[in-house]
Parts: sequence; C-alpha cells; structure tokens
Amino acid sequence: MRVIIGAMLIFSTLRFIALGWVNDHYVCPTFHFKYFGFEWIEPLPGAGMYAVHGLLLISSLGVMLGGYFRYAAWAQFLLFTYTELIDLTYYLNHYYFVSIACFLLALTPANRAFSLDAWRKPSSFQTQVPRWTVFIFQLQLAIVYIFAGCWKINSDWLLHALPLKIWIPANDRLPVIGWLMRYECTPWLFSWAGMLYDVTIVFWLMWSRTRLWAYLTVIFFHSVTGMMFQIGVFPLVMMGATLVFFSEEWHKRWQNRLRMWGRKWPRFCQKSAIKSTPMQVNRTPGWIFALLLAHFVFQIVFPWRYLLYPGNVFWTEEGYRFSWRVMLMEKAGTAVFYVKDSRTGREGEVLNGEFLNPHQEKQMAMQPDLILQYAHFLKKHYEEKGLDNPTVRAEVYVTLNARPSQLLFDPELDLTKLSDGWSHKTWITPAPVSSGQ
Amino acid sequence: MKFFPHLLVFICTALLPLTGCDSGGKEEPGSSFDRQAMLRHYADNLIKPSYTALLGRIETFKTQTSVFIANPTGTELSALQIAWAAAYTDWQYANAWNFGPSGEAGLKKGLVEEVGTFPAGTAKIESAVGAGQWNLEDFNRDARGFLAIEYLIYGQNQSADEVAALFAADAQRRDYLQALVNDLQRRISEVVNTWNSAYSSEFIQNDGTDVGSSISQLYNEFVRSYESIKNFKLGLPMGKRPGQTQAEPQLVEAYYSGLSLTMLKAHFAAVENSWYGRARNGQDGPGFREYLESVEGGNTLIAGTEAQLAALKSALAAVPESPALSEQIANNSPQLEALYVELSKMTRFFKSDLSSLLGIAITFSSGDGD
Repeated sequence: MRVIIGAMLIFSTLRFIALGWVNDHYVCPTFHFKYFGFEWIEPLPGAGMYAVHGLLLISSLGVMLGGYFRYAAWAQFLLFTYTELIDLTYYLNHYYFVSIACFLLALTPANRAFSLDAWRKPSSFQTQVPRWTVFIFQLQLAIVYIFAGCWKINSDWLLHALPLKIWIPANDRLPVIGWLMRYECTPWLFSWAGMLYDVTIVFWLMWSRTRLWAYLTVIFFHSVTGMMFQIGVFPLVMMGATLVFFSEEWHKRWQNRLRMWGRKWPRFCQKSAIKSTPMQVNRTPGWIFALLLAHFVFQIVFPWRYLLYPGNVFWTEEGYRFSWRVMLMEKAGTAVFYVKDSRTGREGEVLNGEFLNPHQEKQMAMQPDLILQYAHFLKKHYEEKGLDNPTVRAEVYVTLNARPSQLLFDPELDLTKLSDGWSHKTWITPAPVSSGQ
Repeated sequence: MKFFPHLLVFICTALLPLTGCDSGGKEEPGSSFDRQAMLRHYADNLIKPSYTALLGRIETFKTQTSVFIANPTGTELSALQIAWAAAYTDWQYANAWNFGPSGEAGLKKGLVEEVGTFPAGTAKIESAVGAGQWNLEDFNRDARGFLAIEYLIYGQNQSADEVAALFAADAQRRDYLQALVNDLQRRISEVVNTWNSAYSSEFIQNDGTDVGSSISQLYNEFVRSYESIKNFKLGLPMGKRPGQTQAEPQLVEAYYSGLSLTMLKAHFAAVENSWYGRARNGQDGPGFREYLESVEGGNTLIAGTEAQLAALKSALAAVPESPALSEQIANNSPQLEALYVELSKMTRFFKSDLSSLLGIAITFSSGDGD
C-alpha cells in the first residue's frame, strides 16, 4: 500500500508538472474558489507552487521507499491536501480519496518491512502488522465503492441510462471497444453493470474464492472507464488500492520477486531478509483509534447529509461533494454576470474569461455555491475599481442529463445580498423534471 | 470461483428484456452519427473553400497594393479599399477555424489574433512608420493584420486623395503597407498549403470527442467566434462591461472603413452556416445540427436554437444600414440594444447545451472518476 500510494503520487505530481497544470491551475487564475471553512488557504506565488510540488515529490519518494516514513507520510498528506484545497473547482472524488488514503497511511507503521527505515534500523523490522492497519484501507474502499453504487440507484441512471446515453455514443471511435458503443442497449448494460459492480465488488474482493475474478473485473472495469472518460489517474489509483484485499502470502510473493530483481543492492536485500522479531505488538496508541473512529463515523454519516436538504441534490448540489457521487450526471451551464453601479445605475456584463480559466468557468457555471462565491468576488473587485456599492446578478442556464436548460435562479436576484452556508438555498428554482433521487 | 462469472451472466440475461435488445447484432452499428463524414464535410466544403477564397481575395488585394504603391493616387486607393473590403468580408467566413495550421504554436497565437486583432494600435503603427522599422512576429498584433491595413488605407475621416497623398509623400508608409500585406498573404497561404497537404486527413481522422479531437476544436472555436461578436464587436463598443462609464464607439471592428455592420452580418452568417453545416454557397451537409438529431434531447435543443436564431436574425435585420455602426452606438440605438439582448439569449444554446448533449470535452482537466 505504501509503495503504491507513494508511486501513484509521484506519477500524479509529475503529470501535473509536465502538463503545465501547476501554472494553469494555481498561478494564472486571478480568482480561486474556496472550500467552506478553508477560505484562508491561498496559493503561493509562482515559484512557491512549484516548490510545493517538488516537496510533494520528495515526500512521496520517501513514502514509496519507506525512508523517514513518519515525516514523509505526514508531509505527503498535508502537501497534497493543501494543493487540493486551493481551488474548489478542481475537486475530484479521487483526489479526496487520495488525501484520505495518505492520512490513513500516515497513521500506520507501514515502514516496518521492505523499506529504507527498516534497513537503517533493523530492530524496527516486522513482517506482521496489526490487523487494523489493513482493515482501515479495506473499510475506506468499501465506503467509496458502496456509496458510489448506491447513488447510482436512481431513475435517471437505471431507467433512462443517463448520463451514459450521452457519453457512450461519443466514445464510439475507441480502439477495441468502440464498436460496442454504437448499440442502443449499451448504455443500459453499462449503467446496470456499473451499479452492480460498485455495490458488490468489495464483497467479491473480500471472499478469497472470488477474489481473483473480482480483481480481474476491477482491472477490466477501470480500464474501460479510463479509456472512455477523461478521469486522469483515477483508474490507476483504484487498481492499485484494491490490491489491499489480497492476502499476506500473495503480497509476500511479489515482494520477494521484487527483491530478486533488486539483487544489485545486496545489502538492502540482506538486511530486509533477516528474520523479523516475532510479532511484538507495540501497543497502538489510543488516540489513533479515537481518530480513526471519528474518521469513519464521519465517512459513513457525512454523505447522507443531502437528505436534510429539500429538492434534488443533482440540481442544488447541496450535499453533493465528499459523498462519493461519481460520474452521475452530465451537467453544464452558461453563467452571465451583470454588475450594476448603484449610483449611476449603469449595468455591465462580466467577461468571465478575465478572471477564470475555462475549467473554473465551466465548473462555476453549474454549482450554486460557486456562483455565489464568484458574485461576491465580483462585487469586491468592481468596488475596488471604483463602482459605487455594486449589485451583482446573474443569468444562469443549466442543462442536466440532456434536459432543456433552464434558469437556476431568478436572474433579477442580487447575489451580493445572499451568503453561502450550510442552510438550504431557498433561492434556487426547483429542478427541471424530477430526476434521480 | 465459479460463482462470480455465473452471476455476471445472470445479470446480463436479466438485463436483456429491459433493454429490448437481443444481444446479437441488433441494429446496424452505423446507426450512431458518423463524425468522420461531418469532419470531411467541414474540411472540404466549409473550411478549405473559405481559406482558398480568402487567399484569392488577398492576392488580388496584394496586386492592387503594388499598383497603388507605384502610383499612389486617390483613384488607385479607392480601388485598393474595395479590394480590402472584399478580402475582409471573406475573412469573416474563415475566422472560426483557429486550430491545426491556424492554431497557436509557440509565440504565434491563433490566426484570428494574428491577422484580425482590433482596434488597430494607431500610435504603434504611426511610430513604426516614423521609425521605418517593424517586427511582424512580436506581440504587437494590433499593429498588423487586416485592421492595421484598414487604418492605413482609410485614414481617419480623410478623403481618398488625402490618404493617397500621405503615401505619396512617405516611402516608409508605403513600405510598411507592403510589409503588412505581404505578411498577411504569407500567413494565409501557409494555412491553405497545410490544409491542402497533410492536415486535411489528419483533421478527418481525429474523429473522437475528447479534448484535442477535431470536433472539440471545431466546437470551441465556433463558440469563441460567436462570443466575439457579442463581446467584442458589439458589447465593448456599446460600453457593456462593468466599469465602462459610457459607450466607446471607436472600439468597433472596421471603424475606419465604416464597414462594421457589413462585417458583423457576414460573421453572423458564417456562425449560422457553421451550426447548420452549410457551405457559403448554400450546399448543406452533416453539421452540428445533424449531429444533435442523433442524440438524447437533441431535437428539443434544435427547436430552441432555431427559434432563437430566428429572433436574432430579425433583430439583426432591424438594424439600419446607415449610419455606420459606430455612429449608431454613439446614438444609443434601441435596435442595437435589442440585438445585444438576442445575442445574449443565444449564448447558452451554443456554449453549454450543445457540448453537454454531444458529450464533447472542452477543457483538459480531468473529470470525476468512476
């Protein structure tokens, strides 16, 4: 697990740097959308963000090789989470998962074997870990998959095969599987298979008799979705992470094979090959268990918060994030903001491209809380430019799962009078035709 | 071990009645939309002809430039102005294909920025003429291209004779004009050559819907081209930005020739053609409209789009031909206000609805995983 997470983050961070995303995402935009409660997080100026990514690389390397693991793991968790918290429009469930995995990893003594730490300090070497250290990852994965599956049980997904009906025909030119996408029944097949996969895969993985088959399914499922959708490193993350369900013997076999390849560094291998001190359980501190308990209670309860809000969660997005709702809807909007000088009465139309990159604009245009944040930013910005007590209104048309687009809220509403919070946004219009839950 | 595949089989069987699909070969896989045919149609009947026609006009214009430079009289200048207007009208039909050979590359921006930037930087132009030196590759894009040329050959409220006299008296002014025209001709002919050689088939083969696919590029530039009508050709001169305290009519496109409205109408016609997949000569083929017909919710969106197109066209037709657009803006024309409203209403049909229904990826960043 440690090796996989470390390697994954190295890959992901290099990908970010190589694609120029550090610059596009964090350095160029003039405005960043904040997470509720984390408004104080700011990006560092230009070179600073590169330094953060550089440190992230180093700490991930430390985690992968198991060198100074405790520091590296916490650094990895904090740095990665920091980069995610800078701008809400880059929120992705799989980055959230990676953050959580880093956090869980930092709590475990995952440097006891196959690591530089064990080599530096052979006395710490152990081949056995307390059961909970493996269990927490399995539990976390189970939460991810089962929630993701449950949210698929809605009428759009199962009865109308939406949004897959939109996405699948768009992928009919893929190698190997493209031809499948041209059949009318494919979206239904994929919708049902996807739902059943998500809901049940953890159980198949836990049961030793089906584990191998289940893992092949994992590979197949994530390869297909990886080819079809622009979802970055996610398929690799899940394929790597689900390995935690495999047995101890299986993992050891692989580690031994890796050691064979690594014979060039005999000292490293010899040291790690010495017999382990037979399982002397250093008592795991109680605070770790308390923290884990709190974490998992939160994990299980928090996704249900949408029930507290009236209306359609797809439309209002109240309780949508951090709930493992993945690939559930095709939603897009056009948001035009008008800023009015209260004294002169002159109203102007904002060019969003002046402040946001295309990705930010796209995400903002369909999410009510982001629209509100942006409106408040505009008020402040134009106040500084000399407008007298500006009001901000917006005409926002949103299309959800191929329904005709409609106004998300009254375009005459002065958004600067509203503030974001946990309470229900009564100003949002009712969802189009009932969709989903 | 055996249980799991059996379960899968069971699930699949259970699904069949639901979908009414007998797993074999139900209908022809060809029932989905043929994007390659659409791309071929755009390449062969919209894009390449628009560039070829443009290049022809620019060559005529270049010839007339030489004639004028050899004999800088008011008569020859008037002929040059006519040639410019013809070329610039053709440009309106070619300004939305800023990808591939017309896309950004290194320091070079998209073709529309390189040759179509307005308003012209008159001070920059005059200082280049005065100094007798210029760099046509730098970021001073408002000192080159169609609209810098326009400023030079139309002048500011000057008669043809007066403008011609400026050229007659100043060799550097003549040289700069010649350099700008040569640069324009070089850029367009490069684009035409690349389309006629390798790029055409590359464009047609790249028939996915991901970012970087031809459909995605075509679509993005289509939207950008449409929005530039609203935001830059009308909105900015009309003072529609927050912080603008009044209209700024001198910011219109083609200010010096007074041909702004003609150009705006040509541009809008090109946008409409592009949505329908219609060539300038009227030849229809598979376009975004036909693509929409093949997808969920497409027909509803077609109806909505066409209704708004009709409203927009009648608002455009209601704008009087004279006086010049800049003057109408200065007079706070109610017809222009109405046109602006209709243009705004059009945006969502093109900008978010179309790409959402067609499943076209428009930004590079990853989406959420599954």
